[in-house]
Amino acid sequence: MTIETIIFYAFAAMAIGAGLLLVNIRNTARALFLFFVVLFAMAGLYLFALADFIAITQILIYVGGVLILLIFAFMLSNKELLKDIQTSSTRFISLANWQSVVLSITFLSLMVYTFVNWSQQMPGWIEQSISKGTLIQAKDNNIELLGFKFMTQYVLPFEIISIFLMMALIGAAHLSRKDNTA
Amino acid sequence: MITLTHFLLVSACIFCIGMYAVLAKRNAIMILVGIELMINAAILNFVAFSKYDKTNYGGQIFALFAIVLAAAAVAVGLAIILNVYRHFNTINPKNMHELKD
Amino acid sequence: MNELLPISPINASVLIALLPFLAFLIQAVLGKTQTSGNISLVAIILSTTLSLFWVFPAVWNHDQQTLKLVWFVIGEYDLNVGVLLNNLTVLMQLIVCIIALPVHIYSKAYMKADPGLHRYWMFLSLFCFAMLSLTISINLFQSYIFWELVGFASYLLIGYWFTKDSAVQANKKAFLVNRIGDIGFLIGIALIYSHVGTLDLTMLFGPSGVFNPSSLEHGQSLVIDTDASWRTWAGICFFLGAMAKSAQFPLHIWLPDAMEGPTSVSSLIHAATMVAAGVFLLCTIFPLFNATVLLLIAIIGTLTAISGAIFALGQQDIKKILAFSTISQLGFMMVGVGIGAWDSAMFHLGTHAFFKCLLFLCAGAVIHEMAHLKKHRNLEFDPQNLRNMGGLRKYMPKTFLCMSIASLALAGFPLTAGYLSKDSIVVGAFEWGAYHGGWHMIIPITLIIVSILTAFYIGRLIWKAFFGNFRFADLLNTDHTMREAPVLMLAPMIFLALCCFAPAFSLQPLDYHASWLMQGLHVQTAYPAIPSAHLYIPVILSIGAIVSWFIGWKWYTQREYPFSTGNKLVQLANNQFYLNEFNEVIFVNSIKRLSGFLYFVDRKVVDGLTYLFTNLIQSIARAVNWLDKNVIDGLVNMVANSTYYLGHLVRHVQNGQLQGYLGFALTVLILGFLYLIIK
Repeated sequence: MTIETIIFYAFAAMAIGAGLLLVNIRNTARALFLFFVVLFAMAGLYLFALADFIAITQILIYVGGVLILLIFAFMLSNKELLKDIQTSSTRFISLANWQSVVLSITFLSLMVYTFVNWSQQMPGWIEQSISKGTLIQAKDNNIELLGFKFMTQYVLPFEIISIFLMMALIGAAHLSRKDNTA
Repeated sequence: MITLTHFLLVSACIFCIGMYAVLAKRNAIMILVGIELMINAAILNFVAFSKYDKTNYGGQIFALFAIVLAAAAVAVGLAIILNVYRHFNTINPKNMHELKD
Repeated sequence: MNELLPISPINASVLIALLPFLAFLIQAVLGKTQTSGNISLVAIILSTTLSLFWVFPAVWNHDQQTLKLVWFVIGEYDLNVGVLLNNLTVLMQLIVCIIALPVHIYSKAYMKADPGLHRYWMFLSLFCFAMLSLTISINLFQSYIFWELVGFASYLLIGYWFTKDSAVQANKKAFLVNRIGDIGFLIGIALIYSHVGTLDLTMLFGPSGVFNPSSLEHGQSLVIDTDASWRTWAGICFFLGAMAKSAQFPLHIWLPDAMEGPTSVSSLIHAATMVAAGVFLLCTIFPLFNATVLLLIAIIGTLTAISGAIFALGQQDIKKILAFSTISQLGFMMVGVGIGAWDSAMFHLGTHAFFKCLLFLCAGAVIHEMAHLKKHRNLEFDPQNLRNMGGLRKYMPKTFLCMSIASLALAGFPLTAGYLSKDSIVVGAFEWGAYHGGWHMIIPITLIIVSILTAFYIGRLIWKAFFGNFRFADLLNTDHTMREAPVLMLAPMIFLALCCFAPAFSLQPLDYHASWLMQGLHVQTAYPAIPSAHLYIPVILSIGAIVSWFIGWKWYTQREYPFSTGNKLVQLANNQFYLNEFNEVIFVNSIKRLSGFLYFVDRKVVDGLTYLFTNLIQSIARAVNWLDKNVIDGLVNMVANSTYYLGHLVRHVQNGQLQGYLGFALTVLILGFLYLIIK
């Protein structure tokens, strides 16, 4: 077992463990901070998949943007924040709703079963790529290549997604406006 | 040796955790967090497969797109949650049952 | 011409379809300011010119041309979009263009000063785009998209006067009934895709396609067994789609209601082009059908033809008569497909498009004037009701002339286009019936009866609207009278009237085999030709038509005379009396049934009793109408009710909570996956 594998397992365990805690913890504020941990661990996993730029983006956008937004929304909406912390202090973990647990576990076992079955026989294009050796290597300059791809092959989706993002932000601003102006 | 299956199994776990949050949580913000977890699981899959696609870089590119979409979804989702909070004075989905006839 | 335009027919045909779309976009952007319709008009003129002078001559009777572009890829399979040009598709495109152009011109006058006019032109252009694209689609899925779009445009146009409650009900009904058919179409597509693995029309039905029986000789190895049960089901599914679109019994119920739309729309969409799309689809995928499906198509077509004709007898609304007549004629086309002579069906589709469009336009002109009178005099009456008309021949002679020509064509009178196409179907059906023998002969015999009924009801319309006395004649004076339609409306009508004559389709006006259209599409039928049928069936039809007109003339015009005016007409009444006696003697001795018919009529006329027979026919029609309403609609309602009760059972699941719904959806998904894994 190399050091690499150990770190991978550590990150995976961190992501899954924090995730499990996140969904079972009572206090929403704590849950949001656990979400932060999950996101970090996921970013680490991306690094292992040789996607350094994605990992950085993940931290920038999720941790810098999404999480802050979530915390703000939580603070704006939950006036009983303090009260909630006090009441939940008696019971740290709440496991409710056995139907959802059953559903999720069934789904998980289905997925695991499928993945394990599937990995016996990889799809043709992966086999091809392995045999030809056209894999992404750790020493590749991913960011430069991604930049080229964005500006050449994927320029149309890139433009569309920019416009989409702008529309979503305008829409969000419009939605959260006070009613009296409308 | 970390294989593709490792990544897939981790992403399956994260996905199911997210799904549980969506199904069970009694707080709209936590549901949104669950959705984000599911999207993250999907991004992990994208990225893992992307290793074998050096010509197109499809996986990584679309992982980035997915991150952007998730950010947009959060922005809109939170705006909706704020409106819902103003309207119902709660963000517990159990108390919103106007879909019922 | 070919040297002047340096574009290929493929590009030109795409351009034909795109021009109206461009017009639609421009008008959608310009919005309310754009009410003249000039943009739509210019687009359709260019399309028609391109189609008539460039695409059609370049493709007709030449090899088929195709263009395929990959749209998206799923796994191993590329989904192509593209253009297929062969005799059938360019012919259909040309027919749509040539009908759409006069309707556009006519609309300029007919829809003048309507408050929502900008929407009208927009929708009309959208419809033209969808219809023209439907005709040249290469892929069944692509066809399906445009098929839906055509239905949607029709929905918009039926509900054009959306403030009228009946129009809203009608467009909903049309949309819902069409959904039933669309489900059939979609299932058919899925069946074909799962069994053959492609949706490309050329690979399925082309000269070396998998469904083409002759492709074995071309070295094609994969030929589908004709009797495979999925093939029967796929055929039935596609036919279901065509039934809804082409208003076949019992899915015809939407078409009469669709007359709530503007008359110009009825003439373009619900008479000439869209409703014919079902027939066109069946012709395109004809090789798919095996004997079982073809027989079903023929039977449904016959049922539709006879029921449409009987319904038309009992109607008072001028547009409803024409609507039922359309249904009946579509039934004819279906029979044409069902007996395997789809070239005849396309031929009838072409000629029917012209004369039925013309009938609607004429009816529109009449309604226009009636509505004008109503508005001018502040009267309360239904401008579409035949009872309020009569004697209009004096006021609108040119409209009358056009309408008569169209009626002659509808009745299949010699020298008209309708004569050629209708005879081709009836004679074909007769040969088919004779070949199969036994009860198969019921179909051609029914068709002959329907043809005679057709002549009768269209005669009734003409007699009641244009002969006799105008009910509001005393209200007309010098400062307001019933006028001829304006030139913008008359010109398209006259153009269409010219196209109703046989020379437009065949230089040899008595033999349909000589028509250019039939020669271009020619299909080899399994049954032998019977030369004598070509002689006596047209004769029977023509004599039947004349006799029925004669009867109609007596019932609907003469009866007014004894009561309304003076001396001279009493004499006429006397003449009529003698004529009736004469008829009575002749017909009692010759045809037993017809004499019984006339005997009652004569007694009524002589004794001045009420018009028993008219009532009889009306009550039959009402009974059928009742059947239609209660049995057919009742079936539909039963399905709806049972669904409701089923829903009632699982109502507690419906707790209004999103997460609950999500959970149920997920459970079903997991069960589905489990099934797939275990299987």
